[in-house]
Amino acid sequence: MAVKIFSPQDFPAYLPKLNSLYDDLFTGGKGFRSKLVQIVARPLKLDSDVENLLCQTIEFIHNASLLHDDLIDRSQLRRGKPAAWTKYSPEYAVLAGDYLLARVMVNLSGHGNIRLVQYTSEIISDLLEGEWLQDSVVGDFFISVPQLDRIHNLKTASLFKWCLRAPFIALENNDKELHNILSEMGTLLGQLFQRSDDLLDYDIRNYEGKVILGDLKAGYLNSFGAFISADMSRAQIDKMVKSQDLNDFYAVFSGKENFLKSVAEFDAINTEKIKLYHHYVQQLKAHLVKMSLDQNAIEQLIRVLNSLTDLLYFRKKS
Amino acid sequence: MSRFLTLKKTDAEYSKYIWGNFSATERALPIESLNVGTPQESITFEILPVSSISRPSFFKLLSRLIKWNYFFLIFIPLYYVFVKNFIYQRLFDLPSFGLAAVASILLFAGLNIRNDVFDHVSGFDRIIKSSSEKPIILGWVTAHQAHKISWIFILAAALFAIPVCYSQYEAGRVAAITLLLFFLGNFLTKNNYKHKYFSEFLLFLILGPALCAGYQVSLGSGVDTEILVFGVMWGVAVLFLLYLVQYANLFETSQSGIKNTLTHMGFDKSKTYLKTWWSLFLALWTGYHYFYGSVYWLALSIISLGLCTVPTYTVISNAGSPIGSSLARVRHTGFRLFIIMTVILVLEQTWYLINYLNWIL
Repeated sequence: MAVKIFSPQDFPAYLPKLNSLYDDLFTGGKGFRSKLVQIVARPLKLDSDVENLLCQTIEFIHNASLLHDDLIDRSQLRRGKPAAWTKYSPEYAVLAGDYLLARVMVNLSGHGNIRLVQYTSEIISDLLEGEWLQDSVVGDFFISVPQLDRIHNLKTASLFKWCLRAPFIALENNDKELHNILSEMGTLLGQLFQRSDDLLDYDIRNYEGKVILGDLKAGYLNSFGAFISADMSRAQIDKMVKSQDLNDFYAVFSGKENFLKSVAEFDAINTEKIKLYHHYVQQLKAHLVKMSLDQNAIEQLIRVLNSLTDLLYFRKKS
Repeated sequence: MSRFLTLKKTDAEYSKYIWGNFSATERALPIESLNVGTPQESITFEILPVSSISRPSFFKLLSRLIKWNYFFLIFIPLYYVFVKNFIYQRLFDLPSFGLAAVASILLFAGLNIRNDVFDHVSGFDRIIKSSSEKPIILGWVTAHQAHKISWIFILAAALFAIPVCYSQYEAGRVAAITLLLFFLGNFLTKNNYKHKYFSEFLLFLILGPALCAGYQVSLGSGVDTEILVFGVMWGVAVLFLLYLVQYANLFETSQSGIKNTLTHMGFDKSKTYLKTWWSLFLALWTGYHYFYGSVYWLALSIISLGLCTVPTYTVISNAGSPIGSSLARVRHTGFRLFIIMTVILVLEQTWYLINYLNWIL
């Protein structure tokens, strides 16, 4: 399943700092997005070179966004190591991110599928729009969950959509109905992933040991924060924002038990989203059957796609 | 137990589900939409048993359907026209005026319901997720039922309007021109009459000069410059409310390709536009009071409105993101400014009325 995403030979040898920066960046990443591309590409019997190109494309875009994101958020660490902008310089981090996006266009245009180039460019512009918008709401502690969803659709879900749709586009299957279903699935996966990631900030299912209350202290009210503060008074929100640790935070709810009740309510809402996602997976199955693909491969794909919500939202590693 | 169903606009069943007349025991609530307003549109409905939807009281349902909280937009001109003509001793045909008032209330209610139906069927309410309770979206009524209710209101309005047109021919002419423009707007615009430049002009015309002139001619008092100036001023104020809503939804409407004045302007220019538009209203207010009001009320109202305008302009200027809570704050502050203006207007008219009654008694 592992795919070689990064090779020093892909980048000019006369730019040693760039290679060193990419070495740091690409090691340690889980490569979830490229794995998702593989999951979708395999039953389609996509040429292995094309599959590798797609995997590399999504990882390059994702890592470029991380380089820029860390600088914008002033995050000191990435994957447990100093973020590129702190180790090299902010200028190098920006250039390295831009260089990755440029390589994406060089590689994809070399492949020659203009629809794929166009769609990938749209996704990159969505990503940048989302990043821009997210930065514009820092310090806004009255933002709503639907508003954050719109940002996350651009910033996070766009990449999930790409992972699901790009293999079909690479096969020149541009069936609108099929792509509608894949878009809806990608949007839901992206939202669920983001919401789960936002829960880590409050130490919910935080198996990876993410920094607690990092978003809140950085002035960013994430989706769970927006959900729980929707019915709070201004004084309660003030108190929540000033929380230095989880005990301060629980005090806003008069105890941890009440806080966990809110988590359960949030989970219940997202379980509805999961049900909706599974509805779209069934629709996808009906489409794939019409495409006369191998029945076993379809069944396996559907099984894996159905299990993604457990992995992405509930962080269950089966 | 709910289930999901995805339908394309081209599917035979689509129409039944969007109008809600596919079943007597179930409701179809749209929860996800793609390609809204295009032939490729598809909607995912959540199908729920009617019994699982909590039904509101009749009065709550009715007030949400007819949007009772917006009725002041027709009550203020009604009150103004009554006071003005009472003082000028031109209440020539009070029964017709009363009938016209009832007709306008019924028509406004009917059009508000019809508007919700149109938003539901066209997909606009799936682009702009309103924070207010919308009966069709909540499954309290189906679009089909709401459509029928709207026609009951509109036909009832027509019943009340016919005697007015019969006794006051000019009222018939005003109504005919307004209706003509309304239907022209509906046929000319692609999306919704609310979301085009011509439709903004129509809203200004219908809720401004046409409404005020219509009330006055129903009294048999004809049209004069004063009522037209007031109508224009009121229409400009109503458009300010519309622009506030457009501003609050700027990001969603821009993303969806809906064209209106503020999406055309963009985020930053819209701030200047909103302030300029309200300044235009203040200029009209000053002009109107200079020519037709008292100097006392001119000074008092301009000072009061000026003081309230400053924080509104500050909130507008400080809006930093096209998607955060600052947009809702702009809308809220702007609406509050509008309400303050209407309170001043009502107090002023009441003051004139009391003064006049004191004088004649």
